[in-house]
Amino acid sequence: MNPGDQLKKRLQHFVALLLVGLAVFGMFAEPAHADDLAVKVRVQNQVQDAGGKTKKEPVAGVKVVVADASGASVGEGVTDAKGVALITLPAKADYTVTLDESTLPDGFALQEGDAERQVQGAAFVTSTVTVNYFTGAANRATVGWWSQFAQRLADGARFGLILAMCAVGLSLIFGTTGLTNFAHGELVTFGAMIAYILNTDRAITPWLAFPVAIIAGGAFGLAQNEFIYSPLRKRKIGLVSQMVVTVGVAIVLKNVFLRILGGRTKTFAAFNNQDCKRVGPICVTPRDATTAFISLIILVCVALALQKTRLGKATRAVSDNPDLASSTGIDSQKIIRLVWILGGMLAATGGIFRGLDEGVGPFIGSDLLFLMFAGITLGGLGSAYGALVGSFVIGLFVEVSTLGIPIMPGKNWPAPLDWLHNGVPSELKNVPAYVAMIIVLLVRPQGILGRRERVG
Amino acid sequence: MNWSNIFSATLSAFFGVNAMYFALSAIGLNVQFGYAGLLNFGQAGFMACGAYAVGMTAHYYGISFWWGIPIAVVYAVIFGLIMGVPTLRLRADYLAIVTIALAECVRLIVRSVTFKKYFGGSDGINQFANSFVNRTPFNPSSKYSLYPFSDSVNAIGAVLLLVSFAVCSVLLGHMLAQKWAKEERQGFQSKWIICGVAVMVFLLVASKQTEYDGLSFKSLVVGWILAAIIAGFIYMLMRSPWGRVIKGIREDEDAVRSLGKNVYSYKLQALILGGVIATFSGIMFSVSRGSVQPDNYSRDVTFYVLTALVLGGLAKVSGSIVGPMLFWGILSFVDAFLNELTKSWGGHVDIFGIPLITESSHIGVYVQVVIGLMLVFLMVFRPQGLFGNKKEMALDGR
Amino acid sequence: MAADEQTLSETARIARAALANVAPEPGVAKPDPIMTAEGVRRSFGGITAVDVERVEIQRGSITALIGPNGAGKTTFFNLMTAFDTPDTGKWWFDGKDLEGVQAHKTADMGMVRTFQLTKSLTKMSVIENMKLGATGQKGEKWWNGLLPFTWMAQEREIEARADALLARFKLDHMRNEYAGTLSGGQRKLLEMSRALMTNPKLVMLDEPMAGVNPALKQSLNQHIKGLRDEGMTVLFVEHDMDMVHDISDWVIVMAEGMIIAEGTPDQISSNPAVIDAYLGAHQGKSLLEDM
Ligand SMILES: Nc1ncnc2c1ncn2[C@@H]1O[C@H](COP(=O)(O)OP(=O)(O)OP(=O)(O)O)[C@@H](O)[C@H]1O
Ligand SMILES: [Mg+2]
Repeated sequence: MNPGDQLKKRLQHFVALLLVGLAVFGMFAEPAHADDLAVKVRVQNQVQDAGGKTKKEPVAGVKVVVADASGASVGEGVTDAKGVALITLPAKADYTVTLDESTLPDGFALQEGDAERQVQGAAFVTSTVTVNYFTGAANRATVGWWSQFAQRLADGARFGLILAMCAVGLSLIFGTTGLTNFAHGELVTFGAMIAYILNTDRAITPWLAFPVAIIAGGAFGLAQNEFIYSPLRKRKIGLVSQMVVTVGVAIVLKNVFLRILGGRTKTFAAFNNQDCKRVGPICVTPRDATTAFISLIILVCVALALQKTRLGKATRAVSDNPDLASSTGIDSQKIIRLVWILGGMLAATGGIFRGLDEGVGPFIGSDLLFLMFAGITLGGLGSAYGALVGSFVIGLFVEVSTLGIPIMPGKNWPAPLDWLHNGVPSELKNVPAYVAMIIVLLVRPQGILGRRERVG
Repeated sequence: MNWSNIFSATLSAFFGVNAMYFALSAIGLNVQFGYAGLLNFGQAGFMACGAYAVGMTAHYYGISFWWGIPIAVVYAVIFGLIMGVPTLRLRADYLAIVTIALAECVRLIVRSVTFKKYFGGSDGINQFANSFVNRTPFNPSSKYSLYPFSDSVNAIGAVLLLVSFAVCSVLLGHMLAQKWAKEERQGFQSKWIICGVAVMVFLLVASKQTEYDGLSFKSLVVGWILAAIIAGFIYMLMRSPWGRVIKGIREDEDAVRSLGKNVYSYKLQALILGGVIATFSGIMFSVSRGSVQPDNYSRDVTFYVLTALVLGGLAKVSGSIVGPMLFWGILSFVDAFLNELTKSWGGHVDIFGIPLITESSHIGVYVQVVIGLMLVFLMVFRPQGLFGNKKEMALDGR
Repeated sequence: MAADEQTLSETARIARAALANVAPEPGVAKPDPIMTAEGVRRSFGGITAVDVERVEIQRGSITALIGPNGAGKTTFFNLMTAFDTPDTGKWWFDGKDLEGVQAHKTADMGMVRTFQLTKSLTKMSVIENMKLGATGQKGEKWWNGLLPFTWMAQEREIEARADALLARFKLDHMRNEYAGTLSGGQRKLLEMSRALMTNPKLVMLDEPMAGVNPALKQSLNQHIKGLRDEGMTVLFVEHDMDMVHDISDWVIVMAEGMIIAEGTPDQISSNPAVIDAYLGAHQGKSLLEDM
């Protein structure tokens, strides 16, 4: 068989495997309830908890009316104990959602946005469109700046650790094979998804579900290498083409996950709704403290393993100079396989932790991808330590940048300047990280820990 | 199953607004990726530049949106500089990462509540292109077809359509004949004629199935003419010494640099030129709808344009036009087919007891899976596109 | 060598005469240097790849740069042509300071190099490869690209020149083939002739003979000598000592980044330091201290 046919076969196998996997998980995940077309209105009251973090509490008993484009009412509902009202709709079209402000509990007022909201027909990517209302007045000023800062720092460190865990694999894969994997975010999502399906849908204890998901993540990474990238390398397909292939893989996987999980963000059955405990100026839930601690341990272990073990040294050797490494008798294919497994497992772990934090959705991984890129660019492409440090810094930066430094006199400054004072709005909190990445490229293209490469 | 619905949808999409604006964008991406080898993953950002430039001009400054066109070009140049200056000295992957991140920044900013007063948040800007929409000759409320002999087309239109069909037949016929003849020149003439006639017949039959409303039709005519003009320019440019340098850079930039060419400057030129062309794609798309919405410029759009381009074949002007047509043809076919299938199976598609489709919104997911698979398989097996050149293909294995 | 002396061309005689009185020691000054490097150092992490105190290349001569693998020859080429920047040092070409000059500018100034690993532009035809080499093309401005009448005449001229060069290097039968279909040796030839399209004053060839068959090597030798006859200066890296002996007027020996010896081919082949450098680095070290 010539390599082309072999590759074709392998890819076909992979697709078949994928479809079977999709089907199997589809059975698990979708307890045969078909969602009707609906608008989901969620009303939440924002209150500041002891740690200065905004907490959202559901508001029940609020009346909501949905009207079609002509203004005729097509449905109404009242929010339940979860603050949610589900109003079924006849068709995908443009609607107006109106919240009846007179039904809000006493002392509550709408905080952001109008009572009237537009829902466009195009917004029905999945069957349900969510409209959020927030009430209450956030009173940031009651908590001192320093304790807020400490809180953000703690949150940022936690996020940075998760991000670093996700990014190490990306960087190792790049280092050993030269491949920039745009589907790495999907490895993250995969871990979270498996863990969610086992834990929530199958009601398996997290102590079993999470390790299984992590192992599945490693297997998934290995499968990608074996079925896609290893044959491509054998066939000497250029790196740029391989990069485009990863984009295709990302599109496929993302949509498979979307089909399995549905568009809405889900929560794990375990470790839910914990109250935060006060530690000095900050407030953390036991869950968050544990995940941060575990992340730290894992990262230290990874760093030590790279530094001390024979395999770790071999990995670094392959990253440094693949040709030289293979001439000294290191089996670079074996190392690459190992790196994919390790990367998949780390990404899965990161995905689970992120899912505990933010809920599980089909895009949680791909939403992190650019931040991972920013992190490894900051640290120097291909350097595992660089990825570790860089991603941690980026994670920290993203969280802390939402808190401004109140130094400027209280005028209305134009937007980007204003961010310095008031913090970056959370919807834009990734933007400064991307800008930082570009500045790093301008000043020190090889990153903090990277090296320049050879010509000629 | 209603096959005529499926074919009508497929063929309308083949020439439709989506194919048109994708073609414009793909021509730009082809300059960058196909010819110069620059992996620009931020094409959606360039398209957003165009869309928002026209939208904002009309909406906030109250001047005609036509002024938005030069402004869009300026935006695209600035955007290209921001992308290119830090990255074009570095490896290809840096460009990919930075372009995609910057395009994402643009999308985040234009859809943010913070800048809602400039960009209109997630609703975007609506109804700004009235001076285009209300312009004659096509009536927005009646239906038009691309079939030259249909009632909706007058004599001049029929002649124009026939001429452009003829041109397409000649060009596409040549391409197909080459494929058929496998690079042999013997009996090429007759093969060319057969292919050309086949294409002509296809176009006539296909166009009969198409149906567009007046506004779409007007945008189609303007857009496709624009695409043809720009494609012509690119064709000429790529046959000039400038194009030679650009292609050389794709192959090996160090070699080109050693021959005294300022590689950095050429790369920047290619990036910006491609970006400016993509801007026109954004302009045409937003004008054809009279509205701008941020979510039409997400990173996935870039990837779809890339897929469409690879489908038609990299580094070929014809590829960047035919690719998007095929792309949307295939997508619409899959979409319409699955829709009809779901309908005829009573709203459920189960295979071996596995519920694949339980509601109509699931169809979109499968359509996207098809896009992803198409990208993977094309990139691996047919990087020269469906009508790839055998000789060139053989070179890739080396 | 007596037979050789008789077949020497006029220019070779002039070049050798000019170098006859130059002392065979590292860093020695030449009567008419086209390129000079001084204190050029480049290290990668721990290893110092290049550490050249001073070196001059005589104008109108063929100079060979030899040395064991990893001696720093390619890195030296990279530094001179601005493909890499030295940590310290200054270097001049044709009297012009090259510090901070970009790589493509060096080619414009008349300094062209080839690469050890050939860089043929595989998906372009051989003739396109050649035409790319010509400098100062009007059509390389994008706005002119759209106006063929501005560059058509020049293009024809370039094509004629390219065809002549292809014929000279026996590549004319491959004129319209993709460069990717050429054999390894043919690619070397293509790269060299493409470099010549820039009308250089100094041609720097990184192992031009590697992978070229012996028969072709002979004619390649003639071509390189021909370049000198046309008034160009040639600096080339080569491992085949017979070749070096055959065509070069002057030989520079590098080891561990340093210039350890210079001289005419005869002087070099009898230099113990050179023999040591090739036989083993450990011996080379003690020898350097001796010198
Ligand atoms: N970019 C780089 N990073 C790290 N080390 C490098 C780099 N470029 C060159 N070196 C090192 O510098 C030294 C000199 O390399 P160079 O390629 O100049 O040798 P050379 O004389 O051309 O050898 P050869 O005859 O084998 O071509 C080698 O030890 C090499 O490993
Ligand atoms: Mg070398």
